Amino acid sequence: MAHPTSLMIIGAILFGLGATGFLTRRNMIVMFLCTEIMFQGVLVNLVGMGMMHGNLEGQVLGIFVLVIAAVEAGLGLAIVVMMYRRRGTLDAESWRQMRG
Amino acid sequence: MLSQQLVYWAYGVGGFGALCVYFGLPKEGRPERRGLFVLLLAVTLGGLVLLFDRLLGESANRFVFSILALLGVGGAVRVVTHPRPVYSALYFILVVLSTAALIIYVGAEFLGVALVIVYAGAILVTYVFVIMLSQQSTEATESRFASVLDYDRSAREPVWAVLAGFILMATVAAIIVKRDWSDWDEVSAAAMTEKNTLELGKMLMTEFAISVELAGVLLMVAMIGAIAVAKKRIPHASDAVESPPRGEVGKTVDPF
Repeated sequence: MAHPTSLMIIGAILFGLGATGFLTRRNMIVMFLCTEIMFQGVLVNLVGMGMMHGNLEGQVLGIFVLVIAAVEAGLGLAIVVMMYRRRGTLDAESWRQMRG
Repeated sequence: MLSQQLVYWAYGVGGFGALCVYFGLPKEGRPERRGLFVLLLAVTLGGLVLLFDRLLGESANRFVFSILALLGVGGAVRVVTHPRPVYSALYFILVVLSTAALIIYVGAEFLGVALVIVYAGAILVTYVFVIMLSQQSTEATESRFASVLDYDRSAREPVWAVLAGFILMATVAAIIVKRDWSDWDEVSAAAMTEKNTLELGKMLMTEFAISVELAGVLLMVAMIGAIAVAKKRIPHASDAVESPPRGEVGKTVDPF
C-alpha cells in the first residue's frame, strides 16, 4: 500500500500547476480547464487524508467535490459562451475594463 | 535528518518545475526553447521519482505509483503550457485518467470510476464542444503556431504567475513532508479498501443523506442557470428593417 503522503504531494503539485495556469493563460476555456486541474488536486488530497484517518469520509467529500466540479463546468462554460458572443473572442484581456 | 532532507528535495523539485513551466509557456517575441523545456521537464520528473522513492520506501508497488504520478503531473504541465486549447483538453483527459488510476490503486474504487465517468465522459465533452463552438479563423502568419490565436501565443505575466503557483506548491509540499506521519492508521486504511463501494453507499444514504439531496438540488439549479445564461436571443427578420413596438407576439423575443 502506498503511503498517503505521496498522494498529498501529488495533490499539492496539481493544485499549484492549476493555479499557475489560471493566472497566466488568457484563453478563458483553458483558464477553466486549469480550475478543473485544481479540483483534481483537491480530490487526490481528500483521498489521501481519508486514508490517513482510516475512514471513508474523505471519499464522500470527494464525491461532493465532483458534484461541485460538474456544476462549475456547466455554469462556467455557459458564461464563457455568453462572453464569447458579446466580444467575439475568448481572450480574457478583452474584459480588462472590468478591473477596478 | 531525513525529513529536513526531504524538504530540500521538495524545494529543489519545485524550483526546477517552475523553470520548466516558465520556459514552456508560450510567449510572443521570445525564442521558443523546446529543448530546454523538455530537459527541465525530465529533470523535474526525475527528481519527483526520487522523492517518491524516498517517501514510499520499500513498499512493493512503488513503480506503478510513480509512473501514474508522472503521467498525471506531466499531463498537467502540458495542459498549462500547450498553446492549442484542444490539445490542452486532450492532455487533461490524461491527467484525469492517471489520477483515477492512482485513486483506484490506493483503494478508492468508486471515486475513481466516478471520476472517469464524470470528468472524462461528461465534463470533457462539454469543454471540447465549447472549443469547437468558438473556433475562430486566423490570418496566416509565418510563426510556428500559425493557426494559433494571438492570445494563446502569449501568456499573461508568466513570471509572477509561475512564482505564485510554485511558491504555494513548494510550501504545501514542504509542510507535508516535514510532518511525521508515522502515526497513520495503516490497518484501518487497508480494511477501508474492502467493500469500498458498499460502505460508501451506506455512508451516503445514512450519514450524508441530506447532503446528497442538496447536491441534487444544486445540480438542477445549475442546469436552469446555465440555460438562462446561455440562451440566445433570436432576432426576428423585421428587427433589422424597423424597430417595432415591444410586446407584439412574434416580432420581438424578450427573454426576461
